[in-house]
Amino acid sequence: MNLNHIKLTIIIVFFTQSILSQKNIPSIYIKTIEGKSINSISTLNKNGLTIYSFWATWCVPCINELDAIHNEFDKWKEHNVKLVAVSTDDARTKRRVRPLIMGKKWNFEVLIDENQNFKRSLNINGIPYTIVTDGKKIIYRKIGYKPGEEKDLYEFVLKNSIDKN
Amino acid sequence: MKREKIFYLLILIFFNNSSLNSQILNNLRSSYESYSAYYIDDSKTGDFNYEDRFRSNNYLNLKSNIGASWNFELQIESYLPSSLLNYSPDFKNTGISTFNLEYINDKINLKLGNFYEQFGSGMILRSWEDKDLGINNSIRGLNFKYRLNDKISLTSLFGQQKKGFKYSKGFIVGLDTEFDFSNETNENYTFIAGLSFVGRNDDQTSGTTYHNTTNLYSARIDFSSLSFYSNIEIINKSKDPVMQFGDFYDDFVEEGAAFFFNSGFIKNGIGVDFTFRRLENMALFSERNAFGNSYNQSIVNYLPALTKQHDYSLANIYVYQSQPNVSFVDPNLIKTGETGMQLDIYYFLKEKSFFGGQYGMNLALNASIWNNLDGNFDFVNKNYTTNFFGNGEKYFSEISLEIRKKWSSKLDNIIFYLNQFYNKKYIEEKFGKINSNIFVIETTYKLNKNKSLKLELQHLSTKDDNKNWSAFGLEYNLSSAISLYVSDLYNYQNPKQDKKIHYYNVGGSYSKGINRYTVNYGRQRGGLVCTGGICRYVPESTGLSFSITTSFF
Repeated sequence: MNLNHIKLTIIIVFFTQSILSQKNIPSIYIKTIEGKSINSISTLNKNGLTIYSFWATWCVPCINELDAIHNEFDKWKEHNVKLVAVSTDDARTKRRVRPLIMGKKWNFEVLIDENQNFKRSLNINGIPYTIVTDGKKIIYRKIGYKPGEEKDLYEFVLKNSIDKN
Repeated sequence: MKREKIFYLLILIFFNNSSLNSQILNNLRSSYESYSAYYIDDSKTGDFNYEDRFRSNNYLNLKSNIGASWNFELQIESYLPSSLLNYSPDFKNTGISTFNLEYINDKINLKLGNFYEQFGSGMILRSWEDKDLGINNSIRGLNFKYRLNDKISLTSLFGQQKKGFKYSKGFIVGLDTEFDFSNETNENYTFIAGLSFVGRNDDQTSGTTYHNTTNLYSARIDFSSLSFYSNIEIINKSKDPVMQFGDFYDDFVEEGAAFFFNSGFIKNGIGVDFTFRRLENMALFSERNAFGNSYNQSIVNYLPALTKQHDYSLANIYVYQSQPNVSFVDPNLIKTGETGMQLDIYYFLKEKSFFGGQYGMNLALNASIWNNLDGNFDFVNKNYTTNFFGNGEKYFSEISLEIRKKWSSKLDNIIFYLNQFYNKKYIEEKFGKINSNIFVIETTYKLNKNKSLKLELQHLSTKDDNKNWSAFGLEYNLSSAISLYVSDLYNYQNPKQDKKIHYYNVGGSYSKGINRYTVNYGRQRGGLVCTGGICRYVPESTGLSFSITTSFF
């Protein structure tokens, strides 16, 4: 029982302290679609916001979301936003990533997070999952996707890009 | 328990140091996941015959860092009063699941404690976490990575593999090197090669014809250009005793091998991918005695089924599982591995074309076929020889076509057709072969900006096994936060009257930002449940389940 109290205390202290603080994108090695190792920091957009969309070839809502964004992305790009689609496909399905994005004509930067190191470092516990950063700083996090939610994300991007300019 | 107390004490001492304390707390990231269920008796799926009707799996993950070089990670798990049905009995009570300390700089990455690692595509080594499947085979020990320059990197590791809150008795040692031969002046081509070694030492079993240590060697190359790519991996596994009926024999000790070839062609609007893989006696466990355990514990390497991972429930009844092992069940059921291939074609029909319409149309074709190895098998003397080319008994094949069509800004359709052959005798070591056809139509209609309705209709027709099934699902997203659904699977042609069961489910979810809550009431179909190409058997059950996922960042 004593031990449980200690555990509980530690957990509560951790939680109450952590909620208010700002967090950054961690520096971690991740692979490009060609298999090259690059640092996550080098994928950040230097002139505006970066959207990281965590997806997989077998995740239908993820593909619905990226399709929906793709259909309107020309409009988004006017606000200097960059989208990085981070595939969490493992060895079973990752070979399908390249033909799928070509077949869909998505023109996003695509990264391969095969053993989910990047996903784990960001405490992501389900996909689709969206993160928006301003520089290194994370300013938006969301789990899941329902039809129409890309409009909310666009509004967020619009608002924060205007603030910047 | 004693070790745990010391650990908590160390943490407390550490946090009493105030400057470190504030840095660590300021940088803290945490996540929490909880999955619970209350199981009830059901006249159709049967009484609940286990202990604890209420069961709950809980995961708390904490990460922090000091400066840019030092990282910590701690995961506490709690299975109280016990874990959800069909998780390994090793998951019980509360305890520290994983803990690690990491040092990083431009060249070095050193991790002490539990770590996840993968060499190449994982066929020789993969440690990872999959909570749905109850897999966390992280290795506890030392993981050292060194980047000599942009071209050469080296990874080494040593440790014991986690199983539940305990650790395997066997040791794993691994080494991986990767060379990037790409020409920096020409970014259109990349050429990467890798060499790996994995050794597993297990002194729990012993024989006169084999060693405690089994060694695996692998070589791989990966080539990419703008419109074409190709990769090859070759693996050799040293002699390892073959488990037969739960035991090992001195006269049944075999080598293993794997060959993997993948190539693809890509152009704007079209993508083609082809894979060939051959596995012979390739399974590796950190303890030999763990061979074939039904909880997927102590797996060292990742050998997933290379078939399409389906989203629709009826397409997930007859799911292929890779057959990497040697198994002499009876003279008419001998397996030594698998050989087969898979093809994917993605095609986009242009906007404003005849078939494409205003928004264009997406097509996805997938086909795969998997067979036993071709060879000569001697059941009595436990002996075999195999051929590199050629096919033995067919395990599985399927072909599917998916059409995605957006009709207007409000209406979307997905049409999916699947034809499957499933050799239940060989795959599950039971009886029968199943030929089936599955047809699915999914319609999404947007009512307004955040409201939408999705209807899914499915049918599986077969003259074999349990005959025809039908299924439907209706999902109503009534705001960006709230979603409700009702679904049913019905085996309406099951030859046994009492097995004509409606597997109904009703539920909903609430998600806001990074918090997500779900609740579900209904029946779980028994049998194989598969995620990520790995499957496990689950019993039929009925009950109320709910989950919480959240993170603080």
